[in-house]
Amino acid sequence: MESSKNGRESNEEISEKDENILSFLDSMDTYLTLMDSLSSTLRQGWLELASARHSMGASRINSTLLDLKFHRASTTLQVNEQSAGPDRELPHFTLRKWASSNNPEKNFEEAKFGEDELLKIKSNSLRRRDTSQSSEIQARSPESVGTPVSVDDLAQRERSKSLSMFGTLVSPKLRASQVSFETGTVATLFI
Amino acid sequence: MYGFEALTFNIHGGYLEAIVRGHRSGLLTASDYNNLCQCETLEDIKMHLSATEYGPYLQNEPSPLHTTTIVEKCTLKLVDEYKHMLTQATEPLSTFLEYITYGHMIDNVVLIVTGTLHERDVQELLEKCHPLGMFDSIATLAVAQNMRELYRLVLVDTPLAPYFSECITSEDLDDMNIEIMRNTLYKAYLEDFYRFCQKIGGATAEIMCDILAFEADRRAVNITINSIGTELTRDERRKLYSNFGLLYPYGHEELAVCEDIDQVRSAMEKYPPYQSIFSKLSYGESQMLDKAFYEEEVKRLCLAFEQQFHYGVFFAYMRLKEQEIRNLMWVSECVAQNQKSRVHDSVVFIF
Repeated sequence: MESSKNGRESNEEISEKDENILSFLDSMDTYLTLMDSLSSTLRQGWLELASARHSMGASRINSTLLDLKFHRASTTLQVNEQSAGPDRELPHFTLRKWASSNNPEKNFEEAKFGEDELLKIKSNSLRRRDTSQSSEIQARSPESVGTPVSVDDLAQRERSKSLSMFGTLVSPKLRASQVSFETGTVATLFI
Repeated sequence: MYGFEALTFNIHGGYLEAIVRGHRSGLLTASDYNNLCQCETLEDIKMHLSATEYGPYLQNEPSPLHTTTIVEKCTLKLVDEYKHMLTQATEPLSTFLEYITYGHMIDNVVLIVTGTLHERDVQELLEKCHPLGMFDSIATLAVAQNMRELYRLVLVDTPLAPYFSECITSEDLDDMNIEIMRNTLYKAYLEDFYRFCQKIGGATAEIMCDILAFEADRRAVNITINSIGTELTRDERRKLYSNFGLLYPYGHEELAVCEDIDQVRSAMEKYPPYQSIFSKLSYGESQMLDKAFYEEEVKRLCLAFEQQFHYGVFFAYMRLKEQEIRNLMWVSECVAQNQKSRVHDSVVFIF
């Protein structure tokens, strides 16, 4: 009797350990895929930046044009600990993109993720082996302020404002580079 | 009178035309670019360039090399060649050669003013200026607060002074005003250069006016595409287009109201020389437009060498050399970023 009870317990322990190992391998796979996606996005961004430099000229795109005046960050990440039950706290991520330079409290793209939600998004995308990881991340609908159309316009305006240090009339390649690095920022959050 | 340059050109311009044609034969060929595209590191690029006329300029550069170093040293070679030609030139060739550098002067002025607005150190900015566009009082640009001061304190004694009449205001300098100033100055410079070439007449006028007209049209297209989705109004956009070129005036009217790349394409395809350029692009795409324009420009610049006894060869050589430096910059970036599969996206072969 006692030996069968011990046998059931050891089967349960083995089963639990197997689950832990599978979960770990799943997370590792998620991590590697996200890293690969981030690397690819950043490579694309750097090449687009070089292409913009080639198109507009080295005098228009160089590090000496970066603005040293104090200004608020347009993208911020806030991490809070939230209670998820007795003796358990989970990190909660809030990503605010393109905060208005005129009204810093107002931001046009805000996404709040709990850790569980992040894990669900990652596992869903990985089950499909979706290569468009960045589009999956981008498509996650944020809690936005105002109507979707006006949020896009205002976010686009803030994007243009941040590029204005290189001039008001910049090449589409520079804008594409900006979008790539923006996608990379979101991918970093998921990692 | 056109046609009689053969009698008198060589008296003052013969030596320098021979010099510039010699420089032309030193431009990199397709096989040079093929070798460069197969390099694995920037050191390999340096090794390949050591067998070209860039060798003496790169041989003492220490490792690790950076792409900006390669571009700087190659630009130094161009500057040395230009300065030699300028010191040997007599009028009107010397004025013609000076006109070639005014575009770089405008870029340098805007760089200093923009950098100062962003609270950057003046010395840092001066190091990034193009050497062909330097002038004595350039560092004093940092003290100006608006365009009126910019003109009064610094630019009144420079060759850019006549170009400022259209953009002098007392408004403080900001990003939008600086951009409008840049494009207004460049427009005035191109129109002045065009008039100067027409005044010279003969083969110089024929060849240079065609090249400058293409430049004006290309600028109009770039201004249109870059201003899509910005706060620049249609009237402001129209004012930045030059008052000459194939697109002037009806093409400009259409470009001024374009809201996307496909409308730009529709406006440009009415002009046969540009129809061939836009036919290389797919709908909605503008990434390869720069390369298509560069290829067309290189074709026109190479044709300038088919005729003798005119000043267009000097302008053509300078522009071809700048294209070569752009090619080297792109190849270096692709090698440095391990993206050699993309190297042919922007390399324009000259020969």
